[in-house]
Amino acid sequence: MNALLEAHGLSKHFGGVQALDGLDLTVTANEILGLIGPNGSGKTTFFNVITGIYAADAGRVAFDGTDVTNASARSIYQAGISRTFQRSRLSLPLSIFDNIMIGNHKRLNQGLWFNLAKRGDFKREFERSYADARALVEVFEPGLAGRMFEPVAGLPMIDRRRIEICRALISAPKLLLLDEPSAGMTHDETAELMNDILLVRKRNKDLTLIIVEHEMGVIERITDRCVVLNFGRKIAEGPYRTVAADTQVQEAYLGAA
Amino acid sequence: MAGKGHTSVWPGLVALAIATGYLIALLGAEKQNLIIMLLAVGIVAVIAAAWLGLFENVSASFVEHEDALGVCAIGAAGAVAAVFHDNHFVLLLVITVLLYSVATLGLNVQFGYAGVLNFAGASFFGIGAYTSAVLNTYTAVPHLLVLLIGGMLAAFAGSLLLLPVLRTRGHYAAVVTIAFALLFKTFLEVNDVLGGPQGMQVKGMRILGWSFNDNIEIGKISLSFYMNYFVLSLLLLAGAFVLVRRLERSWIGLNLDALRLDETAAGCFGLDIVRWKITAFLIGNFLIGIAGALFGMVGGFVAPNNYTFADSLILVSILLLGGIGNPWGLMVATIIVVVVPEKLQTIQEYRFLLYALMVIAVLLFRPEGLLPRPVRRYFPGWRP
Amino acid sequence: MDAGLLAQYVMNGLMLGMMYALVAVGFTLFFGVLDVIKFSHGDVLTVGAFTALATYAGMRMLGVNSNLLDLIVMLVTATLAMAFLGVVIARYLVMPLRSAPALNTLLITLMLGTVLRESVRLFYPQGANPKPFPALLPRTSIDIGDFNLRFDNVLMLTAGVLVIIGIQYLLNRTKLGLAIRAVAQDEETARTMGINFTAIVLVTFALGSGLAAFAGVMNGLYYNEINFGIGLYLGVVGFSAAIIGGLGSIYGAILGGFLFAGLQTIGTVMLPFASAYKDVFAFAVVIAIMAWRPTGLIREKISERV
Repeated sequence: MNALLEAHGLSKHFGGVQALDGLDLTVTANEILGLIGPNGSGKTTFFNVITGIYAADAGRVAFDGTDVTNASARSIYQAGISRTFQRSRLSLPLSIFDNIMIGNHKRLNQGLWFNLAKRGDFKREFERSYADARALVEVFEPGLAGRMFEPVAGLPMIDRRRIEICRALISAPKLLLLDEPSAGMTHDETAELMNDILLVRKRNKDLTLIIVEHEMGVIERITDRCVVLNFGRKIAEGPYRTVAADTQVQEAYLGAA
Repeated sequence: MAGKGHTSVWPGLVALAIATGYLIALLGAEKQNLIIMLLAVGIVAVIAAAWLGLFENVSASFVEHEDALGVCAIGAAGAVAAVFHDNHFVLLLVITVLLYSVATLGLNVQFGYAGVLNFAGASFFGIGAYTSAVLNTYTAVPHLLVLLIGGMLAAFAGSLLLLPVLRTRGHYAAVVTIAFALLFKTFLEVNDVLGGPQGMQVKGMRILGWSFNDNIEIGKISLSFYMNYFVLSLLLLAGAFVLVRRLERSWIGLNLDALRLDETAAGCFGLDIVRWKITAFLIGNFLIGIAGALFGMVGGFVAPNNYTFADSLILVSILLLGGIGNPWGLMVATIIVVVVPEKLQTIQEYRFLLYALMVIAVLLFRPEGLLPRPVRRYFPGWRP
Repeated sequence: MDAGLLAQYVMNGLMLGMMYALVAVGFTLFFGVLDVIKFSHGDVLTVGAFTALATYAGMRMLGVNSNLLDLIVMLVTATLAMAFLGVVIARYLVMPLRSAPALNTLLITLMLGTVLRESVRLFYPQGANPKPFPALLPRTSIDIGDFNLRFDNVLMLTAGVLVIIGIQYLLNRTKLGLAIRAVAQDEETARTMGINFTAIVLVTFALGSGLAAFAGVMNGLYYNEINFGIGLYLGVVGFSAAIIGGLGSIYGAILGGFLFAGLQTIGTVMLPFASAYKDVFAFAVVIAIMAWRPTGLIREKISERV
């Protein structure tokens, strides 16, 4: 079992708030890890530090054997980590296709000459990318596949979340961080979304997932293992059943008896 | 709206023809009463068209058939020039529209696509113009090359100004460019080498011995010498238009939109924010500089008073009135902003005030501008 | 350089710094409560100065010849008028655009500034030309060695300091100030605590705009002249000062204002050949500071939920 992502002693504070407090966390390749904990326990901060949005105050992070502590967001993406955001961050005036292509940055030719002068080659890359994006969208919501050039602004929230996941997946990342993907969805929509994610994972054996979630049913169903955070520290780890039975975890969520 | 699948080219063609005819009428009218009447008719027609939803049809038509309609637009411009072939004043006005359009296209790349604020557009235009003045007067550099140098100098000056503040928030670029706009004029005025407050003469363009400043005789027809400049300006605008279009319809255009709309997320997906902001700013300033350089030669004269902060705000107003990000809207707005005060002499003095008021109205009630920017279509007419 | 000349430079720098600081404080107040850059602030200063001038003309016509009375009435009229203008601007131009991108507010206030500036130029009698501003303060001065210390400058500096102290007191020691600071910190929480958000915003705009009027009158008294473009220039300087001081911090705005004046003074001494170069120098240093410390010398508080 090789570790894909390793965090040691990760700390991060914002003014007086210690969001991460010496966190040790390891993610094995190809697993689906659930990251749970009460509100404010540091889950999103952990994502933000890993993806280079915030610099850690202390600690180390290694990805696929390389030290990526305090690497820039760009290099994290290049290394193969992709993410969604807790608060949906799509570019609303842009089309579905455009939004997904933003996630495809590293696989597209960004040269000035290519884009401005070599229009024939560009058209071929464009058509390939369209096919890729469309195939991905079809997994999550076939109804959208024929509307790739509609602006995202007109879509309901659940479709926007699906497109955000497509945006994160299009670059074939090694590690995907999902931050509360089912927020705002009904039970059935959540179940459907999780099925689609599992389907993608089946087709793409290389994919490792970390999911932050509050719906325990989801966590129980699809994760291999859970890590529970509280006040920026890991307080429990193991399969869902195990951590759910842990008294410390129950106290963290519900308060001491 | 026209049925899904195939939009006709006719709405666009008809709109273009009507607009051309209207423009010719407006340009040719001399009496103030006639001009006011024409403007009133124009405003009523536009409001009626908007109310009837005709703008959507025209817009869709332009999106689907842009290449064909673009060629027709060039033809239309030629028609306008042909009608006024011996009228110095009108031709100069048309050239001004063409070159201001190039400048605002450049500004659009910076502002409309990349979201980088530039309130010194007129100053960079002035850098191009003064380049022409200095190089034409003191050196023997070929004039086409002078245009390129003007563009590059404007781009270079822009990067000096902007690099330090690229990692900061938008209002930093705003204040830096405003300060530059204010100081540029003063700088020109105190430097006698550049002619001081009086400015400098600019020698007219000569390409391979053909002087642009001599009237042309073809048989019995006499053409104003401005026709030379008209052709060159039209070519420049066509080139700038194609460049900006391709830029928008590429991964680069997408990068610029991404970083304008959400810089943080864009960074998470590998975008080099600084690199693309600078690229957009350089390209934009290059266009502004070339237009300025050519305009200097057209006018034959450069002076600090033509490149003030108020002039920069006029360029920004054109951008906001026409619809940020939409090149067709830009050109329509340029025509309105440049032509109307020239014809309606009474409002010349008030034009800064009027345009500022119009922009305020637009920002409050129709922020997308005259012609909102449609969703990106990488290849017009392409179907999966 | 002799002591007398040095003292002259210092005095000049202090006066300028005071005016810049007053303008910068306004910018920082607006940014603090609404996260907006109100680019018309400088031009409100211009309108304030011209309002004072018009009031003066009116009072002279009515036969009031007391300098002191004139000055008091001018100040009160200009301050109240600009406070009212600030409220109108906030109510009808800035607050409706709160849900639009911040860029729109910046643009609309920039355009508003143009409207104000052009209105003065076009509609005030002879507005396009510089207008003499009456010298209403006592003209006495004493000589300290080579240096001529003017009483009116001392008065203005003192008044400026008092105003700034007054603002500090208002913000830090009164309930109103507490409400303003609460709104600046976190709008939602302030609302849930029962603070009338709109009222506080309008009050803040009134306050900032009144400050601009005061600075405008001071400007007129110092130079004995005003023109329709002074606000634009002061606005750019004041805004830059607020940025390098750290947007959202009153102390930073004051610091930035005096810092800019100091830079200009150094520039004048170092580059005596043309006064324009002092500005180039000062702005070049400002840009360098912006690059070095983007959040300002006293950190700008940005919190964005990711």
